[in-house]
Amino acid sequence: MTRLLEATLLVGAAAIAAFGVTLVNLATGTGVDAQVGLTFFVFLLAFGAVHVALRTFAPRSVPYLLPPAALLAALSFVEIYRISPFRAGLQRWWLLIAAAGAVLVLAVLHRTGTVLLRRYRFTLFGVTLLLLAAPLIPSDAPGPIRGLEANGSRLWVVADMGFIELHFQPGEVAKLAFVAFLAAYLADRISLTGTRRRLGRWSIPEPRQIFPLVAVWALSSLVLVSQRDLGAATLLFAVVVAMLYAATAERVFLWAGGVLAGGGAVSAYVLFAHVQRRVEAWLDPFADFEGTGYQIAQGVFALGSGSLAGAGPGLGRPDLIPNAITDFIFAAVGEELGFAGTVAVIASYAVVVAVGFGIALRARDRYRKLLAAGLTFAFGFQTFLILAGVLRILPLTGISLPFMSYGGSSLVGNFALVALLARISHEETA
Amino acid sequence: MPDVLLTVLRLIFLALVYLFLWQVARSISDHLGLRWQRETRRRGTRVVVIRSDTQAGLDFTVRDAVVLGRSPEADIELADPYASEFHLRLVSRDGRLVLTDLGSTNGTYVNGRRVTAPVELNRGDAIQVGKTVMEVK
Repeated sequence: MTRLLEATLLVGAAAIAAFGVTLVNLATGTGVDAQVGLTFFVFLLAFGAVHVALRTFAPRSVPYLLPPAALLAALSFVEIYRISPFRAGLQRWWLLIAAAGAVLVLAVLHRTGTVLLRRYRFTLFGVTLLLLAAPLIPSDAPGPIRGLEANGSRLWVVADMGFIELHFQPGEVAKLAFVAFLAAYLADRISLTGTRRRLGRWSIPEPRQIFPLVAVWALSSLVLVSQRDLGAATLLFAVVVAMLYAATAERVFLWAGGVLAGGGAVSAYVLFAHVQRRVEAWLDPFADFEGTGYQIAQGVFALGSGSLAGAGPGLGRPDLIPNAITDFIFAAVGEELGFAGTVAVIASYAVVVAVGFGIALRARDRYRKLLAAGLTFAFGFQTFLILAGVLRILPLTGISLPFMSYGGSSLVGNFALVALLARISHEETA
Repeated sequence: MPDVLLTVLRLIFLALVYLFLWQVARSISDHLGLRWQRETRRRGTRVVVIRSDTQAGLDFTVRDAVVLGRSPEADIELADPYASEFHLRLVSRDGRLVLTDLGSTNGTYVNGRRVTAPVELNRGDAIQVGKTVMEVK
């Protein structure tokens, strides 16, 4: 019954994407062309494939994860198409590849379930470290795989396949491997009734329980220093704090995490010029309008000029915002679909996060609980970080917006994330 | 392309987006039983006797509290020799229906399991008293 609804909604999302492309065509006067049909077909194929995989490999999973994700992909696709039809064509391929990835995840976990990931936890940790370190390979290194620096951050890897160069951000997949490792590690190590130690008038958990927190703090600082990637470092650290808190319900982790994060933030500000620039652009984007503040200022203009219902797809100027199809896709949606469009986007994210935490609450064993909570938190916090950056709530951290930003690594990572959540929900309704 | 038509089309586009979200939200609320809970709060819960020698088809609505038993003084009189005088109590509060066994001789079974402590009922649950079976609607 609800599976049928899921299928209907996915067709609806494909129709919304195609309708949006039609509107862009009409507004820009190019005439309705094959892009409309192609978009409808690709959305149907991509999400249809994941839907069929869910029916086949995880029939008891909740049907509420895929539709909001499809809506997000549809809304952003309209904007990507509007800003760069060429990139939109590539994004369609990425959608298909990401969907294939999600199908693969569901198929691999079909027999054994998420226990498989628990078994290979240290392999996953190794994979995380390798993926995080991969962009550090020198750009002129011999061999097919090289690191790449773009926009001042070093998070790209180029794989030279001889006939084609593939670019991807390993961090997007590292996120999943890391959460899977952490869930297994915490489920093994930290007992709910952890022994406590007196420290003056406070009682605190055993120091060795806090050790992973400090270790990861050091690791994320390393990411920050070596790759100049503020977003990934913040996300990494926040995920660990959240999962430690979820595993133990000890508030001390929140306090310790807050203090370490605060200390890290202040020292990063003092030590790194690029962090200072980000903070200054956040506090007053108009002080250096032509320079560092330009992107944020354009984003704010876009959101403002969008007003309530937006200029209409194809009728605004979101192409004026630097990185409008990646980090600033939310501002592009705000300009052309208005406040109404942005509220729809945030509501869709809220649905995914709420359903994700619902899965975590219902999960029966600690590992699955932590895995679902960690994946959901990572998804939600990443969304919050970049939206807060665009909306000037926090300094811009430059991280992709799940399901919306243009780019293959992000889509592949988030499709796999949703597939994992669905798989967990399947296992808990046996 | 006339501007008016384009404006209408893009408003339809936004309307479709919200229709989509509305459908998602409604199906989730159905899934969680929120709608059922809200209506129950207003109208009470209906319970139907589905198996009994003489009382099959009898239905009653629980709004506050109802006591079932063999005694003529019970709110709902059960014509079942295995039922106690005052067998069980059903209480409806905030859209939730709670069953309490009143120390009956032969016990109360919910979905085949004997009730030892007050238990919350959901739609479709079967209550068995002696040879009488009731269903929560």
